[in-house]
Amino acid sequence: MSSHSQATSLGSPQPLGVGILGAGPVTQAIHLPSLARLRNILEVRHIMDVDAVVAESVAARVGANHSTSMDALLGDPDVDIVAICSPHQFHADQVIAACRAGKKAVLCEKPFAMSGEEAARISAVSEETGVPIIVGAMHTFDPGWLAAEGNWGDLPENVHTIRSSIVLPPNARFEDFATEIITRPAGGTPDYSDIEVIKNALRGGIMGLAIHDLPLVRRFTPDFEDLEVLQARHVRPFGYVISLRSGKQGAGDRIIELRAAMNKTWKPEWVFEAISDDAALRMDFTPSYVQAGSAVATITRGSTSTTYGPFEHNGYEGEWRELAQLALGTKQPPSAESLINDLTFAIAIADATVDVAAAEHANSHAGAHS
Amino acid sequence: MSTHYTVTATPQAEESGSVALAVASLPASYGPVAAGEAARISALDGAAGWTAEAIKAIDGGASGIVVVNPVPENTAALLNAAEARGVAVVLDQRWASNPGLAGAEDAVRTVAGRAAMLDTVATAAAGADPERLLTEHLAAVVRVTGQLDALRVLHRGTHGYTVSARLANGAPVSLQGVLSNSRPAGVDFRLYTDDGAVSIAVPEPLAAWPAEVRATGPQGEILLPTVYESAHRTTWRRLKEHLDAGTLPSDLVGFARLTESIAHLS
Repeated sequence: MSSHSQATSLGSPQPLGVGILGAGPVTQAIHLPSLARLRNILEVRHIMDVDAVVAESVAARVGANHSTSMDALLGDPDVDIVAICSPHQFHADQVIAACRAGKKAVLCEKPFAMSGEEAARISAVSEETGVPIIVGAMHTFDPGWLAAEGNWGDLPENVHTIRSSIVLPPNARFEDFATEIITRPAGGTPDYSDIEVIKNALRGGIMGLAIHDLPLVRRFTPDFEDLEVLQARHVRPFGYVISLRSGKQGAGDRIIELRAAMNKTWKPEWVFEAISDDAALRMDFTPSYVQAGSAVATITRGSTSTTYGPFEHNGYEGEWRELAQLALGTKQPPSAESLINDLTFAIAIADATVDVAAAEHANSHAGAHS
Repeated sequence: MSTHYTVTATPQAEESGSVALAVASLPASYGPVAAGEAARISALDGAAGWTAEAIKAIDGGASGIVVVNPVPENTAALLNAAEARGVAVVLDQRWASNPGLAGAEDAVRTVAGRAAMLDTVATAAAGADPERLLTEHLAAVVRVTGQLDALRVLHRGTHGYTVSARLANGAPVSLQGVLSNSRPAGVDFRLYTDDGAVSIAVPEPLAAWPAEVRATGPQGEILLPTVYESAHRTTWRRLKEHLDAGTLPSDLVGFARLTESIAHLS
């Protein structure tokens, strides 16, 4: 058992108990360090992983219970908040189970579902049980982003160009600055001549990487259901060049440019921009894993720029702060519709992107043999 | 002792090319022409019809010609006339003429074989002509990359454009044009490799703002020496070097390739 009750001073409010499903690198290098900064309000009490050795080892780092089954964690009365950090395909069922277990709040790592149907099921259960859910799109909880949101005025209505540009070193570089990792997924050697490999890489890039910024893109994209993929290209070893148009051409349409390159560089860049004729927002996000503070937001109107941040915590810590507020009932949860729309947007882009990549591959293949 | 050359400029060239300022900053090389005399150097604006104007200047006895921001145009007749008369024709291009690009060419060539992606964005003021922006943008890009393969316009509109292409090793290239009053006008160029990048930020030629060229590799990042010389002055200095050496610049040959690329895009 954890010793949380003994550690809490008499008269001070009990920290809320946290249980985490999945103890891989994201839990080890992101969530546990974030929670270590919030010990006055949140306490890790249960770690579950299908690998018993990993579960025990990671739990021992924070003095928590450990198990290898979801049911054991959900049945632990010390757990108030459940964080779902398992592989994508388990997210939907685990979110629903956590809601039905009567927990006070649920954090689901992105994406919280892999289809619109799954998202609708989650929404229905959340509504039925009243358990608030948030999705781990950490940039939407970044204080720099929140400061920008409070100051960008009518920019979302007037934007014509949106850019998300991500350049990342291998995750291990930052994981190793954040903690001492005990497990890592094995890497492979992809066959780039296989279109299925390219399609999977593009889908993975969108649902695993671009998805961090797609809720931000959607804030500036009112007609997000009307999407056209202008190009979808894979970047080796992992990345993408994707160009999209949303809305009707010439009638307030938006051009959306998504770029990502994950290589062996040491230099991360994570920039989001929304641009209109007379104003522009630029977000410079800090790399994931390390506690490097918030993004810096720069809003420019004409030749005058105003900068917001950096603030001392990042979006991951922002997520946990929000979860604590939701569990305590001191803040209203995000609307289920918003979460579903974010997911629908991401899935639509992923589906259309993969289709375009497949069609271009087929055309080039046909051309090569004609 | 080098020769001193007299200069005349059309009002349009003066406005777009800051000719008086550039010439005044090279006083030992250039000076204004006296009233009633024919200048040895003519500065022309690169609006449509510039090749015909340049041929007229050659016929009028010019030894050298500076063309400011030329639009795509068939340069064959001008090239023939210039070569026949030994006239140096240099192009003063908005971004491609920036002196920082000389170092950038080397930095890019060194890593081009390992390129994974080139992402470049050109920005100009809202209301600017996106077609002209694309010409100026592409001119700067091909100066450092060489010719691009499979150039294709994905979208063009009043707010900008997106163009795709491929580098010689097959890596994807994306050129985006953005029209906005809230981003500094210029070109941002990022070539990513397997373990680093070359980034180039090219400013407007209005002042001697330097281009910033950064090469990032496993050992760190190097900012190449900055050159506080405007693209306009660089062009005029380069012309003087050709005139003194008696050589003919390759500007028109390169611009013919650019014109051909643009024509295929339309």
